[in-house]
Amino acid sequence: MEPGRPAVKLLYRGAEADVFRGRWCGMPAVYKMRKPLLYRLPELDKLIRSQRTVHEAQLIHESKLAGVSAPHLYYLSPQDALLVMEYIDGERLKTVLLEAGLKKARLDELGEEFGRSIAKLHAAGIMHGDLTTSNVIVDGGVLSLIDFGLAVHSKKLEDQAVDLRLIKETLTGAHNSVSERFLQSLMSGYSAVLGRERAEAATRKLAEIERRGRYARVE
Amino acid sequence: MRGHLKVLGIESTAHTFSASVVTEKDGVVTNAKDVYMPPEGSGIHPAEAAEHHLSVAVRVVREALVRDSERGSDIDHIDAIAYSMGPGLGPCLRVGAVTARTLSLSTGKPLVAVNHAVGHIELGCLLTGAKTPLVLLISGGHTMVVAHSNGVWRVLGETLDLTLGQLLDQMGRYVGFASPCGRKIEEAAANSNRYLRLPYTVKGNDVSFSGVLTAAKKLVDGGASFEDVCYSLQETAFAITTEVTERALAFTGSRELLVVGGVAANRRLAGMLEMMAKRHDASVKVVPPQFSGDCGAQIAWTGLLAFRSGEFLPKVADSVVRQSWRLDTVPTPWRS
Repeated sequence: MEPGRPAVKLLYRGAEADVFRGRWCGMPAVYKMRKPLLYRLPELDKLIRSQRTVHEAQLIHESKLAGVSAPHLYYLSPQDALLVMEYIDGERLKTVLLEAGLKKARLDELGEEFGRSIAKLHAAGIMHGDLTTSNVIVDGGVLSLIDFGLAVHSKKLEDQAVDLRLIKETLTGAHNSVSERFLQSLMSGYSAVLGRERAEAATRKLAEIERRGRYARVE
Repeated sequence: MRGHLKVLGIESTAHTFSASVVTEKDGVVTNAKDVYMPPEGSGIHPAEAAEHHLSVAVRVVREALVRDSERGSDIDHIDAIAYSMGPGLGPCLRVGAVTARTLSLSTGKPLVAVNHAVGHIELGCLLTGAKTPLVLLISGGHTMVVAHSNGVWRVLGETLDLTLGQLLDQMGRYVGFASPCGRKIEEAAANSNRYLRLPYTVKGNDVSFSGVLTAAKKLVDGGASFEDVCYSLQETAFAITTEVTERALAFTGSRELLVVGGVAANRRLAGMLEMMAKRHDASVKVVPPQFSGDCGAQIAWTGLLAFRSGEFLPKVADSVVRQSWRLDTVPTPWRS
C-alpha cells in the first residue's frame, strides 16, 4: 500500500472500522480501515475483512452505475482491508433536518431527492442496509449516500421494505417534527422512479413488517 | 410490605425439570433439577420429555423444599409459587404448570407466571451483580442481544434461523451424541487448531447459522476430522455472535455485558467476548455455570420480583402456558 499521504484525523471509530479524514493525491479523502478483530481467528478475520472491503467497494461502484451519487473510489487494498474514497463536502441530512427555519419547499425537495436515490438503488437490486439521516450528505441540490458497509444485493420486496423502515424509524426518532411531511415527499420521489405499483407494494410490506414486530422469530 | 419474601419456582420449558426456593435476603437457597436425556443421536421428543418431567416432578419439588427444610422452613413459609409460563415446548410447559397449580390449590398460595427468557436475564443480574447490562442470551431456545429500554427487554439483534444451542446440538447429534451437546463439541474442539472454511453470516445486527450447520455436516460427510469440524464450527459461530454483540455494545455505549443461557458455559465464547469487550471498556459478566442452563432459580427469582411488584399473578383458571411468548412483549414493572 502506498497512500498519497497518511490519514490525519479520526472521524469515527465504529465496531467494525475506523474512518479517517486525509488526502489522496492531493484530494480530500476518507480512509476506511477494517481493523483486525482479535477475537476472530487471524485467517478467518483477514478473509472477512478483505471480502467486506471488496464487497463495499463493489456496491458503491454499482450504486454509481445506477445513477446514485456516492463517493468516488480512489484506492482499494483487500490485503489491508482499506478503502480510500472521496471526501464529499456538504452537510449531513441529519443536521439539515434539525435546522431551525427549514423551508417546507426545501424539505419537500430533499425528501423527493432522497426517495429517488433509494428507488434507484432498489431498482438496481441494492439494499443500502443503513439508511439513517447521518449517511446522507447534502450539497446544494445533490444528495449523496455514504457508508455502504451493510449494503447487500437483493431483489426481495421484504428487504426493500426493511430498508425503508430504518429511515422511518430514524425520522420518527430523531426528526419527529418534520418526519411526516418528509416521508410523504420521500415516498413520492420513490414512487416516481419505481412506479406507483412497486412503491405501494413496498409500503404495504412495510406496514406488514411493523405489524409483526421487527424480528421474525423468537421461541 | 414483607421484608423476607420466599418463592418456590418451577421450570419445565424443555429438557430440564427443576424447582428452586429463593428469598429476598439470601437469593437462591435451593435449586434441584432432573434433566431428560434423549437417546443418543436424537433431540428432545416433547412428549417423552414431558413424561420424564411428570415422573420426577414430585421428587424434584420435594428436594427443593426438603433441602430448604434443613434450614428450618417448608412449603408453609413459601409466599408464592412461580412457574414458567413460556416460551417452550407445550407438553413440557404443561407439566410445570400442573405441578404449580396443584401446589397452589392445595396450599392456597398465589401463582406467579414467569417468562423463561426474562428469567435467564434477571437471575443473571442477581448472580453477577449486573444492573442494567447489555445482555447476550444464548441457549437452545434463544440467541439474541438484548437491552432494557422503555419498560421491556428490547431485542437489538437475534438469529434469523437456528439458535446457537440448536447449532451445537444438531452438529453433535449428526455424529451420534445426545442433546445437549455443547460440552462435547467444546471438548472435541479443544483437540484441534485446524480451521476449515465455513460460511460467515452476519446480516446487519442479526445472525444466521443454518448455512454454517449445513456446511459443517458436509465436511463431516467428506471425511474431515470431527475435532477439526467442531473447532471450525465454534470459531465461526462464536465470532459471528461476538461481532453482533460488539455492534450492540458500540451502539448502546453500555459498559456491562451480561452473558446468560446454556451456551454461556462455553469458555471459548466467553474468551472471545472478553477480548471484544476490552476494546469498549466494558466488563463481561457470565452467569455461573451451574445456573447457565435452564433452572428453577431463574423462575423463582423472577417470580419473586414479579410478586413483589404485584404483577403476573394469574388465578388458577387463567394459569395457561404460552409456547410463543416474545421476550420484548413482557413488561418488567420491577425495573421501573
